Amino acid sequence: MPSALGEPPHARPQPPKRLGRDMRQKAQRKNKQRKTALVAGSGAALKLSPFFSLLFLLACWHWITARALISPILVPPPSAVFTALADALADGSLAKHSATTLEEMLYGLAIGLGIALALGYAIAKVPLLEYILSPIIVAFQSTPIVAYAPLLVIWFGQGPQSKVVTTAVIVFFPALMNMIVGIRGVSPRLRDMMRSLKASRWQTFRHLELPAALPVLLAGLKTSTTLAIIGAVVGEFVASGSGLGFLVTLARNQYDTPLVFVSVLTMTAIALSLYSLVTLLEWRLLAWQRRSAL
Amino acid sequence: MFTFIRIFALLLACGAPFAAAQTELQAERILLTFIPNVQFSPFYVGIDGGYFADAGFDVTLEHLQEPEVLDLVAVQQANFGIVSGEQVILARAQSRDVMYIFEWFQRYPVGLVYDAAAPIEEVADLSGLTIGIPGRFGASYSGFITLLQSGGLSEADVQLNEIGFNAPEAFCLGAVDAAVVYINNEPLQIRNLAAQNECGSVTDVAVASVASAVDLVSNGLIVNRALLDENPDAAALMVSALTQALRAVINNPAAAYLASLPYVENLPQTGAFITELKQIAAHQAEFLTTSPSRDAVAASRAALHQSLAEQFPPGESAQFQVLLNSVELWDAERLGFSELASWQAMGETLALMGFLDDAEQDLSAAFSNDFLPEREK
Repeated sequence: MPSALGEPPHARPQPPKRLGRDMRQKAQRKNKQRKTALVAGSGAALKLSPFFSLLFLLACWHWITARALISPILVPPPSAVFTALADALADGSLAKHSATTLEEMLYGLAIGLGIALALGYAIAKVPLLEYILSPIIVAFQSTPIVAYAPLLVIWFGQGPQSKVVTTAVIVFFPALMNMIVGIRGVSPRLRDMMRSLKASRWQTFRHLELPAALPVLLAGLKTSTTLAIIGAVVGEFVASGSGLGFLVTLARNQYDTPLVFVSVLTMTAIALSLYSLVTLLEWRLLAWQRRSAL
Repeated sequence: MFTFIRIFALLLACGAPFAAAQTELQAERILLTFIPNVQFSPFYVGIDGGYFADAGFDVTLEHLQEPEVLDLVAVQQANFGIVSGEQVILARAQSRDVMYIFEWFQRYPVGLVYDAAAPIEEVADLSGLTIGIPGRFGASYSGFITLLQSGGLSEADVQLNEIGFNAPEAFCLGAVDAAVVYINNEPLQIRNLAAQNECGSVTDVAVASVASAVDLVSNGLIVNRALLDENPDAAALMVSALTQALRAVINNPAAAYLASLPYVENLPQTGAFITELKQIAAHQAEFLTTSPSRDAVAASRAALHQSLAEQFPPGESAQFQVLLNSVELWDAERLGFSELASWQAMGETLALMGFLDDAEQDLSAAFSNDFLPEREK
């Protein structure tokens, strides 16, 4: 029976049960759709954010140069850089020098990573090796490569070999350290399991150590690929007749600042492309990790 | 009495700012290339000998790469810099409004060093040889192309290898048959290595200088347009100070070397060599009081060159020998004077190398002798 004071506020008239469920489901669907749209919207915004930041940077650059806040001798306007880029693409010089640098980088990466991974595995397995080699490796790594790059040119010649060596040296350390950390980080329980399954060394490496160390190894590879261009360009700065480092030197000596910018931006593009490739590789190789996380 | 003291104090008070204004020096940066080295002794002597101060400047020296020197002067972050003439031509073609007002190196310092025993009699004999060069840019490259051209050769006739600034090592290790070098410095280093049997089979080297073939404009003092428009007297005063300092170095290199010691690291500060140089500097100062001719001063330098080489091991006197070699590239009847022909020769070389559109600029506008002291014009 209803009271004289009427129904309490929470006791609103209830719709029939079925109708209530439908409304709730509809509301939930709407809510979900709204959330999905929001997430999708923020995801798209997130994906586009690098382009926005680049656009913002370009706008700032244009604004500064258009108002002559900095002399065009020091910072040329974006339009001059785009013109220089178009010229360098048209005459083939940018492609030629980029190819040289890329080739030096790839050879250097292959050699540096090859040695680092093999040595890193050996060090991870034989701790005595770490005691013997670590002073040399750390001393070598802690010396700026630009200090001994001229010596590498004398030792390995003024051709691409010296640039390959500077690249190999600079990519070596991060790959080595990540290999050691990755292999040592493999769970002892899993190792015991492999032993109990009487797995051979190769099987343990192939089915346990490599997959387990892969995330760390790929992180090292990302660092190495971005460092590789530094190695190649440092070598080219010391002595070369081709490559993006040489193009910077040439452009500086011809007071062609837009071409310097083009060369530097190309170096950035190469480094970013290689980094993206490794990220893609990581995405593919670590798909199992994502699946198991789900 | 008090009145007298008051008047005296008033006079002092009035005079003090005037005296201060007279001694107040204008701070100026001079941008140099390379690193501190005895080859920059005219600037060290300019500071230590008070030549810059007498001209009203408190000079500080900074070392940068050549393109950076030129750009910083062009954008008025510094008023004065030292660069090679070829860089002035290239930079002016790219809208850098600078002017070259003092030719420091009267002879182009680049040349080719090769084994004295090699069958090279003339430039044409270089055909087919492997030549080391710091890089395909800068004064070395333009100088070498000019040298090849003087012998009827082109770059295609030789194998050119970029070796950076490692000519002694590359040459002595046999990586190249000959190397493009700065003739005041690297041939000396190679000779010293050869004397110590550290240069393969090479026992002595010969040098083919670019200057012996063609007169090309070389290193000198540049200023920016703003300074020339607003304060041309400052440019003239700087040139005058540099002329005096340079003449002082040419006349007494031993004293210049001693003045360079605080500025250049890794030079012996004491020992028999320095004691000997102090005596030589004192004797030379005495000799200069007799107002000797330029030839007599040159002869005194040649005698000094010989006597020091006999008395001291190459390692000890090497940097002083570099200074003496440099002096021979600086000395001229008219210090700082620039010839249009040397600019045109450089312009032609740059055009030949594809670095310059030959019809692009009026080279007579790139330099001026107007700021030189009357005696040097």
